[in-house]
Amino acid sequence: MKNQILSFKDVTMIYHTAQGETAAVKDLNFYVQRGEFVAIIGPSGCGKTTILSLAAGLLNPSGGKISVADNVTFGYMLQKDELFPWRTIEKNILLPLEIKNTHTAENRKKALDLAIKYGLGDFLKSYPDQLSGGMRQRAALIRTLASDPTMLLLDEPFSALDYQTRLNVCDDVYNIIRSEKKTALLITHDISEAISVADRVLVLSKRPAHVVGEHVLHFDANTKPLQRREEKEFSGWFEMLWRQLNV
Amino acid sequence: MKKTKAEFSREHLLYLKKQKRVSLVVQITRILLLVLLLGVWELLADLQIVNPFITSSPSRIVLTIGSLYVEGTLFYHVGVTLGETLAGFAIAVVAGYLIALLLWWSETLRRILEPYIVVLNSLPKIALGPLIIIWCGTGSKAIVAITVLIGIIIAILNMLSGFIATDKNKILLLQSMGAGKIQILQKLVIPSSLPTFISMLKINVGMAWIGSIMGEYIVSKAGLGYLIVYGGQVFKLDLVMAATVILCTLAGIMYFLVVLLEKLVVKNGRN
Repeated sequence: MKNQILSFKDVTMIYHTAQGETAAVKDLNFYVQRGEFVAIIGPSGCGKTTILSLAAGLLNPSGGKISVADNVTFGYMLQKDELFPWRTIEKNILLPLEIKNTHTAENRKKALDLAIKYGLGDFLKSYPDQLSGGMRQRAALIRTLASDPTMLLLDEPFSALDYQTRLNVCDDVYNIIRSEKKTALLITHDISEAISVADRVLVLSKRPAHVVGEHVLHFDANTKPLQRREEKEFSGWFEMLWRQLNV
Repeated sequence: MKKTKAEFSREHLLYLKKQKRVSLVVQITRILLLVLLLGVWELLADLQIVNPFITSSPSRIVLTIGSLYVEGTLFYHVGVTLGETLAGFAIAVVAGYLIALLLWWSETLRRILEPYIVVLNSLPKIALGPLIIIWCGTGSKAIVAITVLIGIIIAILNMLSGFIATDKNKILLLQSMGAGKIQILQKLVIPSSLPTFISMLKINVGMAWIGSIMGEYIVSKAGLGYLIVYGGQVFKLDLVMAATVILCTLAGIMYFLVVLLEKLVVKNGRN
């Protein structure tokens, strides 16, 4: 239990509009352990994004309890890179430090070293529109890592990219997250993406979302996402998750 | 990543040359068109085909401007109108921007004030002229007030829609970093609405001139609008035309300055 850095217990979330109320999440239970890469898959419109917003504390649940371990901070990565076009890559990457008012020389250096380590050194003075889609998403990841969060919340971070780029960026992001030893919670509707990166996959029901399946994947720790897709277990997992998703 | 000239292919150099020639033709034709129009006008008036007393003519306009200059009243009238226009423009832009910020900040306030703004927007502001004269007197103050009135609603509506159009996902991103409303405003809403601000300035340049000239039509003792009204009343069409030409020039310069500002702040079209 002590290794859980995030846990949802019987969490319910209801959205209210003038037209009525919608239960997005109902009796949702799951946890994430330190260092784990957890993927949540679910049918589209099942309230996946709500779960991340709840975890990050941007929304308050209507019921239930969300526990976050002490000193845990979150970094959020969205579908699109959301780089600010009027800022250079450097200024974009340093944005979280500005917001959190931790703009010290040391933190700055750490963030920029990270950017250089992952191949953005030549682009620091460039503007986002001078970078390819894949590079932009990498810059977005470095921005997320700049404030040194304990845990990354990834909201379909590859879905806006074309297929070719998507596979590469997925590999890229996976490697960076692993080598920086971050915990990650990925939500996606792409089954093969979930299998290729996660240690554990949670399957959600249709709205109101709750967990209908949990699978620990036993891939070798050193297999990269692209290699995983070639493993013989891959298709087995795919079929199983596909079936569970379409119940 | 700009290439120097030597690195271009022959075809590309030809392409550039052609582009240059096309834009040269456009510029020359522009000037020729003006010369042609002025020439025809002058000729028709000189040959008395049209009555120059009613249509004036380029040479008579130049003479009128010259005599205004000699009398020493040219810069006085220009100064009065320019002062009123710039003051009205500045107040409308600044106040409009701030009010729009306030309305962005509080959705409740926005909803409360919405019908009032809509009505004020559709009201022809000039209808308030008599009221403003009674409240502000018959001096430049009244004219500035009319100018502000005409510009401010447009400034508010334009900026507000620019602020509201801020990308929701970018707001979410900042919130996830722990940003409060002031930081969202400072880091995202204001910089991302810069193009809206510039286009609002462009619209308001025109509005400010409408305001000051209309104001001078209603009440004034000096200014270009005054010259136009006065010239019309005493049938000095040369004066009317001269004032109009000066007005055209000034409005053009002011618009050009805004375009210059746009080039300066909106770097490389990245905003």
